[in-house]
Amino acid sequence: MTEVRVRGDDLATMTARSLQVQALLTPERMQGMGFAFALLPALRRLYPMKEELGRALTRHMAYFATHPVLSGFVLGATARLEERRANGEPIDDAEIDSFKRSLASPLAALGDPLFWVTLRPLSGLLGVLGIALLPGAESLGPDLRVLVCPLLTLLTYNAVALPFRVFGVARGYESADRPGALLKSLRLAEWSHAVARAGALGYGALLALVALSLDFGSGRWGMDGRSRVASLTPLVLGAVIGYAGLRRWPGRGVEVGLGVLAAAAVFAWSV
Amino acid sequence: MVRVAILGGALTLERTAGWSFMLSQPIVGACFAGLLLSPGAEWERWALRVPIGVGAILQLLLTDASLPAAQRQHDTATAGVVGTTVAILGMARLHEAATVALGGALWVLIGVAVGLVSAFAGGWVTRFHRSRSRADLVRAEHLAAAGEARAFEFLYWGGVFRAFAVGALWAWAATLLALAALLVILPRISEALTARRIGFVFAALIGAGLAAGYHAHVAGRKQVFRWVALGATAAVVLSVVFRRGAP
Repeated sequence: MTEVRVRGDDLATMTARSLQVQALLTPERMQGMGFAFALLPALRRLYPMKEELGRALTRHMAYFATHPVLSGFVLGATARLEERRANGEPIDDAEIDSFKRSLASPLAALGDPLFWVTLRPLSGLLGVLGIALLPGAESLGPDLRVLVCPLLTLLTYNAVALPFRVFGVARGYESADRPGALLKSLRLAEWSHAVARAGALGYGALLALVALSLDFGSGRWGMDGRSRVASLTPLVLGAVIGYAGLRRWPGRGVEVGLGVLAAAAVFAWSV
Repeated sequence: MVRVAILGGALTLERTAGWSFMLSQPIVGACFAGLLLSPGAEWERWALRVPIGVGAILQLLLTDASLPAAQRQHDTATAGVVGTTVAILGMARLHEAATVALGGALWVLIGVAVGLVSAFAGGWVTRFHRSRSRADLVRAEHLAAAGEARAFEFLYWGGVFRAFAVGALWAWAATLLALAALLVILPRISEALTARRIGFVFAALIGAGLAAGYHAHVAGRKQVFRWVALGATAAVVLSVVFRRGAP
């Protein structure tokens, strides 16, 4: 029997497809459909017969959830497992499913704190800090911050995330036999700690920059105590409502933002 | 408007499909929308400044450290695009109806308000895509069971295209609706818009943004206050150094 192997171009196609892994996200299967879609190039190579391919595709459409940036590692490792099965090794459906879960769950548990909880806020914060720190436009020239600041956000995030995406499938394929070592080698927890500290550092800088530029509206900050209070009142009002609102309803920044907008408008019009 | 729709569609796809390049962050969407729009030579300067303000405030307000699954479904991807577009197009058409000091801040406020409302209403659009995905799942199972890999792929690519189309349509429709509402409402309330009131609401939003930033970067994390203090100290020192060096 000729040995079938997943080729490099299959892994490259899987990498490209892993970008769409949650396009058809459903509560029942989460990224299950996307996982099957991304794995399809390897499955086609390994199972040329229609019936076998159909069974493999159905198998991989089961519930699957991991962090999208790290999905490549599971895809690569699963492709390796399917390859061994296609070449006659005694690996059953349950074993493949259990392997996927055993890799996907820790990757989600380690990836979420890094990519969603710390790196994403940090990248946005650096864009905002860029606005505060970079020089504005000359009176007639274009304001280059409109280009530089979003690039700062994109570069910050992707400098960390992109290598995981680009090399994920290949690394997963190579390390399928050593999932524990693979997880450890990614050093995701260490990244999370470092990025969280960077976020706190950036937030401190933002606070200081806002405090240094307190002259909202009046432009008379520092002239007398009354104007200082007038400058601080809206800032404190917004901060208190924002803090309390997000503490009470975490994850509802839109509603809290609208609430602050409404409260500030009512206050400004009534005073 | 076609460019805005395409940008909105691309950002929605980025967020929905899991590209996760952070193109869908409000600051990126707002600034890119500002770069794409050209309301006329006389507005060029503001067309680049307003997006920065809208993007920065929306970024702070909508930065949420909680996991996407734990958040309410809002369309934050197109919020910056819709808010910026309405602010810039409104500015070019309504500047005579709202001639106040702090006019730039007024258009930023309008952009932020429109962006927030758009994000809230856009949640229904996101839900529509999710409900269609559930219908696709049933079909995909049949196709997979029959070994119809090619048809399965078409179905999946169709879902990807739908995410783009829904986002593009929403960005286009939300911009038109919000712009129409602005054209009707702003001239009627323009007399009540004073620099003091605009400054007040603007500052309140910045305060809320700082509070949101606290929740995103500080709250619930161990031993980060010294990093906050270090960042603040560094910013103050750098500001003092740069001010001394300035002519």
